[in-house]
Amino acid sequence: MVALGSGVAVSLGAVVRFLVPSVFYEPPQTFKIGNPADFPFGPPTFLADEKIFVFRDREKGFAVASAVCTHLGCTVGYFQSDQRFHCPCHGSVFAANGAVQHGPAPKALNWFEVTMTRDGQLRVDKDKVVPSNYRLMV
Amino acid sequence: MNLIREIWQSIVRRDPLSTDKGKSELVFLNVWLHIHPAKVKKENLRFRYTFYLGFITFFLFMILVTTGIALMCYYRPFPPQAYQDMKDLQFVVFMGPFLRSMHRWAAHAMVVCVFLHMCRVFYSGSYKKPRQFNWVIGVLLLLLTLGLSFTGYLLPWDQLAYWAITVGTNIGSYAPLVGGQVRELLLGGHTVGEAALIRFYVLHVAVLPSLMILLTVVHFWRIRKDGGLSRPTWRLKPSRPEALVTIGAPPETAPLKTVPASKDKTYGLMEVVTGKPIFETITPEEEEDAVFSYPYAFFREAIALMVTVTGIMAISLFFHAPLEALANPAKTPNPAKAPWYFLGLQELVSHSALLGGVVAPALMVLALLAIPYFDRNPSRRPSDRKWAIWLFTIFVVVNLVLIVIGTFFRGPGWAFVPPWVHVVAGAE
Amino acid sequence: MGRRLPQIFFALSMLALALIVAAVWQASTPSWKNYQHSFLQLEAQEEPNAVTKAAVLATPPQIHQTLLPGLQRVDRCTTCHLGVDDPTMKNAPEPFRYHAGLGPHIPSKFGCTICHGGQGLATDKDDAHGKVQFWDTPLLSKDYIRASCGRCHKEGDVPGVPELTEGRRLFETQGCRGCHKLNGVGGSIGPDLTEEGASHRSPDWLERHFLAPNVVSAGSAMPNFHFDREQARALTYYMLSLTNEEMGSYYSSVRLIPSPEYGRQLFVAKDCIVCHAIGGTGAKAGPDLLGVTKRHSPEWLDEQLVNPQLVYPGSSMPEYDLETNARKALVAFMSSATAQDAQNILAHRGNALTPADVAIEAGKRDFARFGCAGCHGTELQGGVPNPNAQGGQVPSLLHVSDDYTKDEVIEIIRNGKVPPLDKASGPTPPLYMPSWKHLLSDEDIHQLVDFLWSKQEKAKDAW
Repeated sequence: MVALGSGVAVSLGAVVRFLVPSVFYEPPQTFKIGNPADFPFGPPTFLADEKIFVFRDREKGFAVASAVCTHLGCTVGYFQSDQRFHCPCHGSVFAANGAVQHGPAPKALNWFEVTMTRDGQLRVDKDKVVPSNYRLMV
Repeated sequence: MNLIREIWQSIVRRDPLSTDKGKSELVFLNVWLHIHPAKVKKENLRFRYTFYLGFITFFLFMILVTTGIALMCYYRPFPPQAYQDMKDLQFVVFMGPFLRSMHRWAAHAMVVCVFLHMCRVFYSGSYKKPRQFNWVIGVLLLLLTLGLSFTGYLLPWDQLAYWAITVGTNIGSYAPLVGGQVRELLLGGHTVGEAALIRFYVLHVAVLPSLMILLTVVHFWRIRKDGGLSRPTWRLKPSRPEALVTIGAPPETAPLKTVPASKDKTYGLMEVVTGKPIFETITPEEEEDAVFSYPYAFFREAIALMVTVTGIMAISLFFHAPLEALANPAKTPNPAKAPWYFLGLQELVSHSALLGGVVAPALMVLALLAIPYFDRNPSRRPSDRKWAIWLFTIFVVVNLVLIVIGTFFRGPGWAFVPPWVHVVAGAE
Repeated sequence: MGRRLPQIFFALSMLALALIVAAVWQASTPSWKNYQHSFLQLEAQEEPNAVTKAAVLATPPQIHQTLLPGLQRVDRCTTCHLGVDDPTMKNAPEPFRYHAGLGPHIPSKFGCTICHGGQGLATDKDDAHGKVQFWDTPLLSKDYIRASCGRCHKEGDVPGVPELTEGRRLFETQGCRGCHKLNGVGGSIGPDLTEEGASHRSPDWLERHFLAPNVVSAGSAMPNFHFDREQARALTYYMLSLTNEEMGSYYSSVRLIPSPEYGRQLFVAKDCIVCHAIGGTGAKAGPDLLGVTKRHSPEWLDEQLVNPQLVYPGSSMPEYDLETNARKALVAFMSSATAQDAQNILAHRGNALTPADVAIEAGKRDFARFGCAGCHGTELQGGVPNPNAQGGQVPSLLHVSDDYTKDEVIEIIRNGKVPPLDKASGPTPPLYMPSWKHLLSDEDIHQLVDFLWSKQEKAKDAW
């Protein structure tokens, strides 16, 4: 009985593991975005392919926010005039820290972990969501 | 608690397996199992009678379907990606090499077993009346097996696949009148290319398996309706010869006998119609020769399943299916060989395209199909069938020899080169 | 019969279970996981902070993949070669060592196999290094890796790879095109070399072949050019670079990197020396061009070439209809041009040439360009062995005027000629004169004949 149960469990586990892909034919979730010196202070840099905003603060350092609206996936824009994110599709508005202020979006914009690599570049990991007050001091 | 028992009994409604009634109900109240008779004849269970080859072939098919569907999650049937996906299966997919190897070895094993099964059925004379048409269905199943193996052979899109199918389809094109056109229909073009790959894929995963399943269902059904597996009637206890089965219809309408009701037997109310029964009638005395399918037949089947599965798994653990270089239409390997089960044909073709490629295989298939109708001898007893047995054995041996020559004795340029002289890559 | 069946079934089921577990175990313990584990140990050693050290050691094993659709490949080398972009791994043992000197060729953009060869799709050592049956492009040895630069960098001199320039030069001057086609131009006696780099012949084979063609390729009609080791290597580099593969525009655009050499040719072709000097040598009508790229930005210079009037209204510099790459090449040439270059250009211009001289010069250029030298020799001396042809060798051209008229020679060049046999029963000679009428215009052929006639030696006196 035990043997049968464990056999079934191992087989099921193997089936599930088989179906989970080990590699993805997509742009990677972790990637380097360049040297800290490439990023200005003040308004964030928008990286279109990776769909992220890179913020650089003089005191606190780097933060990376997702540019994908949490409502239905459109790309939001950041406006320096009111320091907020606006989504063109259905009018969601997010505060500078990503919190939802207005509109149909159900939750705040994600902030991603950004770290320093050993060759002095910034690495963003979209698989790791961090709180909005996360900063990388450089 | 009661609720659990109630749920259980709503699903499993038969009597407990400790009772005879329960054993019978396990069979005929179960949609998956009721192709079996509730009781089987003891002789049919003997390993040395059938070697369980039919079951083994069927289990191999089930392994192929399961592993095949798994492989379909990672395989794209388009020339540049197909080979890359084979490499992915080899290097990055969890249990990729294992599943792919299982699929390949089970495929080879199935071709071998279906052939051995055919030999067994012939040698036991089980194609004779009333089982002639089941033999025909069996030959069709053999052709489907070869077709599935052939269409699957192309899918890895490596040099072996590409050239084996080029040679194979070229052999087929020698058929008169329609050969060239059938080849172009199969390839979706004039040469093996992306059109051929998608067509072979569709055939391999959808069309041929469906036909295979349909015919298998009929094949199993007919076994029941033909009165079960054949038995060596001349060896049964001679004490009650008249109580043995009557083959075919009795000369006159069999008188209905009255039989005392048995508490273990279930009775259904069926319509009584006039006319001659076409299949074997069973007399009550024979019931002593029969045992319940559960457990006697089912455990044997389960063991056959286990042997098949563990055998294929063990081979796949130690021997991974090979993959050659990417298919290159500009670079023909020398020699270019068809899949091994067609190497006999390729050997014949090398002597004469028409005779070897068209006449010989056509005659072989027609001869196989005609056997049950050509053979007028009603006896299944080996001593009464010396001619038939000899002829068939010669047929088998000739085929084997041709395949051996094609595999081991043919080198570059199809020159005759014994394997101990020159290293010849055997066809897969 | 009763007890034994379930027992056998049970035993077999246990066996099946064991085999499943074995298969799962086999799939769960690939060799790359061990390498990753070792690497994490290495990384953790340098981590002073205990928390990050633990985090590093806890990193889950994962296959790393670089998708390169523009190069039509997928490279998984970094699954084991985890330190290639980590400068702190300079002294780490292989496979973890840092890869210095990549410059713009970062692994995430270029992968590894485009330069090194090997099988990027694989995840175990022997397969990934391509040293297995059925993989035709194993890792290139250190001696030949730089040949891969030529797969993208097709124009001009490739910095750091003088072998490619030398190889190309040898190919054009030794007459290889006489027998081998390259990009559609050349003879058909030997194989087409346009994609020789993709034929997967090993570098070793190529080099040995250049040193002794007949030995390496039995029965070949290719003469032995007596190259030395360096020349053979340079030619091998050049051959390896001839892959002609499909590439995304990001990669193939570097095929158009402006080369100063190309710029020099344009400078000569457009006769800039007629108005400009370099370092004092040349004409005085326009400004001296020495160091001009230090005084003006590349964009300014580019604009000057496109529209001279815009920058200097009233300038007498004509508008040259040059495409972007040509303009870039000219600017590249000017960035390094010296007075010596101007001197050479002036020397080559020489005095005004008579039309006859022009024709002879053109013929001489074509003689080299179309590879006639490959069979007839760079000094027209002939001598390449041609078994069973009358005379046993390719004829010298220095006395052709004794036996043929100009028109007859024109005919031979146009339509080709199979050499007469020495022994009628013997084999066909491997070398023959190809027909050139499809590649050379009538004017070209006339010029060639003019050149030949200019080289004729007086026939030795018969007595």
